[in-house]
Amino acid sequence: MSRVSITSIPLDINAAKQISLESYNHRQIDLLPILIAQQLVLFPLYFFIPIWITLFNLTIAVLIYLSKVKKRFAIHSFIKNAVTLLATAGVLYFFQKLTGRDAGVALIATMYGLKIMEIKSHRDVYILMLLGFFILTAGFLFNQSPWIALYQFIPVAAILNGLISIHSLSGFDASKTISASGSSKIKNIFQSSLKSTIKQLVKYLLLAIPLMMVLFVFFPRLAGPIWKMPGGEGGSTGISDTMSPGAISNLQLFDKVAFRVKFKDKTPSGSQMYWRTLVLDHFDGFTWTRETEKNERGIQTFTELNKAQQLKEDYSALASFYQYDISLEKTNQRWLTFLDRPIDIPKRAVLYADYSVQTEHRLVDRTRYSAESLSQLVINPSLTEQEKQKYIYIPNDGNPRSLAWAKQQRQLYPTDRDFILGLLSKINQQEYFYTLLPPLMEEDTIDSFWFEHQKGFCEHYAGAFVFLARAAGIPARVVIGYQGAEKNPLSDYWIVRYANAHAWTEVWLVNEGWVRVDPTSAIAPHRIEEQLQQEYSQREGLFGDFGFEAVDLDDISLMKQFEYWMDQANSGWNDWILDYNQNTQRRVFEGLGLEKLTGQQIGILMVAILAVFMTFISFKWVKNKQTLDPIQNSFQRLQSKLLAFGIDLPVNKGVNELIQDLQRSDLQRSDLQKSDVQGSVRKGSGRKDSASQDMHIINSAVGIPAMEQTSQAQLIRILQYYSYLRYQRAEITQKQQNHFHDQVKRLKIRPRKMK
Amino acid sequence: MIVADVVELQQKSTYILPTKAGFFLVGIIVLMMTAATNYQNNLAFLLTFLILSIGLVSILFTFKNLQGLIFKFGAVGSVFLGETLRIKIHLTSQNKQNHYTIGTGFSKKANYYIDVVEGLDNQVIIPIKSNKRGWFELPRIMATSSFPFGLLRVWTWFRFASPILVYPKPIEPPVGEAAHGEDEQEGATKFSGNDDLYGLKTYQAGDPVSRIDWKALARERGLFSKEFVAYQSQDLVFDWDDFPATEKELRLGYLCYLVLEASKANYDYSLKLPEIKIAKNSGDTHKHRCLKALALYGEEK
Repeated sequence: MSRVSITSIPLDINAAKQISLESYNHRQIDLLPILIAQQLVLFPLYFFIPIWITLFNLTIAVLIYLSKVKKRFAIHSFIKNAVTLLATAGVLYFFQKLTGRDAGVALIATMYGLKIMEIKSHRDVYILMLLGFFILTAGFLFNQSPWIALYQFIPVAAILNGLISIHSLSGFDASKTISASGSSKIKNIFQSSLKSTIKQLVKYLLLAIPLMMVLFVFFPRLAGPIWKMPGGEGGSTGISDTMSPGAISNLQLFDKVAFRVKFKDKTPSGSQMYWRTLVLDHFDGFTWTRETEKNERGIQTFTELNKAQQLKEDYSALASFYQYDISLEKTNQRWLTFLDRPIDIPKRAVLYADYSVQTEHRLVDRTRYSAESLSQLVINPSLTEQEKQKYIYIPNDGNPRSLAWAKQQRQLYPTDRDFILGLLSKINQQEYFYTLLPPLMEEDTIDSFWFEHQKGFCEHYAGAFVFLARAAGIPARVVIGYQGAEKNPLSDYWIVRYANAHAWTEVWLVNEGWVRVDPTSAIAPHRIEEQLQQEYSQREGLFGDFGFEAVDLDDISLMKQFEYWMDQANSGWNDWILDYNQNTQRRVFEGLGLEKLTGQQIGILMVAILAVFMTFISFKWVKNKQTLDPIQNSFQRLQSKLLAFGIDLPVNKGVNELIQDLQRSDLQRSDLQKSDVQGSVRKGSGRKDSASQDMHIINSAVGIPAMEQTSQAQLIRILQYYSYLRYQRAEITQKQQNHFHDQVKRLKIRPRKMK
Repeated sequence: MIVADVVELQQKSTYILPTKAGFFLVGIIVLMMTAATNYQNNLAFLLTFLILSIGLVSILFTFKNLQGLIFKFGAVGSVFLGETLRIKIHLTSQNKQNHYTIGTGFSKKANYYIDVVEGLDNQVIIPIKSNKRGWFELPRIMATSSFPFGLLRVWTWFRFASPILVYPKPIEPPVGEAAHGEDEQEGATKFSGNDDLYGLKTYQAGDPVSRIDWKALARERGLFSKEFVAYQSQDLVFDWDDFPATEKELRLGYLCYLVLEASKANYDYSLKLPEIKIAKNSGDTHKHRCLKALALYGEEK
């Protein structure tokens, strides 16, 4: 019997063919995973770029795929160049330029889509796939909702899959294995089946995500852009600089969130929740606008503000003082919204004489700011003559009835205050209605509204009111903004929607300055359209005093609860992810107790955390290595014991075959004895052997020396256990290792005693 | 570097570096970071960090792909000088993982890729040209991989310990003068050629053995061997001195050729070299002993 190396355990052979570097580099690239990745990357952009570019891209993709799959569709390189030029020209023509967000993204999407025509070598694949990562960021310029954030994992995974596809050999040749005994099995190693690939990719992503979070939290943020980027295009949203009939009522239809506000201490009552946004002072007979002075200067610094407002030292103790944080959704305009009336505004904003506030640049993104307001603040206790004229002016052609009536009323109510109250009681007592669908006013809009239709929306009431007050010689102006708010019962912030948009007025009274008067609130409740009543039950305090109950969670429908939950999630998403900036980061660090560290130290900390995490991952894998060894070690011990006894684990037999041989050996031995093999051997060689030598002859024939029954049984059990451990798919546990180790240790192979 | 016949790759001699694609990705990440900072877009930051993290994680994955592998020196194909040696290497996985797209080769440009499937004996054959006969120490072998993403390349060098015995290149000896000085009594015959050998004629009893055309004999073995059986007592002696005035390597080539042909025809033969005499025998072991002697002739080993 030949001795065999102790370390070799017979294994089945993997019969897959090898590939040389040459053929590996030049083998045909499977275009499908790459194409899929490319289209998944472009998919979100398709919603924002002109439809023809989308169709164009898809057509190219399909054609390229066909040309690779069915050879007869070959595309000439001349055509490829022509197509590229055509596409660029198309973008240029459509957008009139190649820069700016929309045009730029469209161009990038087109070029990226066309790149698929050029896939020849591995290098092309790398470029296309890795560029895809960059293009994914473009999607975020258009949309920042959690949905697109979640979606982006898919193209990332697809890109990784594309990269794997050029590095895996499996597509090349499903491996066949030939076991030592000659039978053939087919084993597909890197199963390109969807399930296994997804599992692998998910593993990569899951490990990367915690690292990503660490980087996101700790990576130092610059205060602002490195250079100014072209702003996003798109019209202004929400409140506009002018008010004409219908302007605000249109906004009523939108449930969209205008801003969210969180109060620091006190929360104003419903009747206090007027959100001042801008002031309109000029009426041309149809539209109210804001006439800006030449060189209108606003007040910026805090000291100037204080001086202008003549506030006492400790105004924070006043009853009508409120502090709050606002997260204002993008408006593409420069007006900021404040609780009537602001006394402290953000640094980069400017306060005008009429207490409207503007920022330096258009708000092209969500803005957060803190502010303070004093609702009882007295504004302009005295007016200059010039100002008075401005706020009294009304065009003297048009609306004759109103003009006449106002003068008449003035006789009845000589004081300003009484006049105002008179107007309000008229609204309240006479048939004045509040409706979302007012009839179309004739040319003399005020006359038509005040005397004829007597049905309108807040802009009608505000406009008419100011007109009439001015006609009576009382300075008055229109204020536009929002009224009321809706508390999210799940959280501590309030939601103000476009639906809350409102117009009211301010009249100037001697020594009182500008006083807020909301003519709409004077309307008798039973004259409000029923469906509006329901809406306004949410708008606290607009009509009469509905009281200010917080909404009870049990009372609201499931759907509404879900809406609140969604808004809370959105708000959290905004606060912690989208608006995470230097300030937020500082807050996080304070929370973690890290505020003392310098930027450099933070950087080192971040790298340290990453390193720890990566070490953890690598240990998790290194641990795998140990699993097989202890079994092998024990098995080698077993082999030495067998060898000592005279049993070689033969080259061509596996463990299972040895078990079978052992099981059969007794039977074989008795058969041989019966057939008197040893007798004939003796005779043949002319020897005279003893019984033990006879036994030796039989043993040679059987191939396995005789061992004691118990030893044999023990040995068989150990071999079976080894076979079971070796081929089970699950990890070998420590317990199993130990068990096997003990068994081998305890095994004593005793030879059978001669009879 | 590890030098052994069964090589288990160690972490400490394994190197890893980004590939060109890897550097390109770094550039892309910088670009993404710039865009994110400039638009102050936090989702863009998140995505950048995600890609960066995937890059970091892939360092570990790529590295791990080459760990836990065992390279075992297997058989060598033909070992004659001038021919390409085909070195068979058995790759097995020691850590219950599959290892994908593992390249093995003698140089960076000449890698051969296979997947190493856990639980199987995976084989790769790498070629190398031998440049001299005798003991040939294999140059170092590179094991490499850039799986899964091709962003990094990991590699290591090792060397198999056992040298390979390269036999001289067998060259058909020219048809030439018969050598003289025989031991006719022993029935031994020395090979020599004859001018008119190429006139093939059936072998007749009585023809001197030195006239046998070996090539033809090999081709038409069936017929001649029957005849030859009668002369079985005539053994062949391949002698160094049969080729006087021939350069050493050439002589070795001739003798090698003769040994191979005789062995193929299953004859007994003996080999006589200046320092070594190998008694007549037949069979594989004998052939290898003779070839080894020829290979090592003049070597110090």
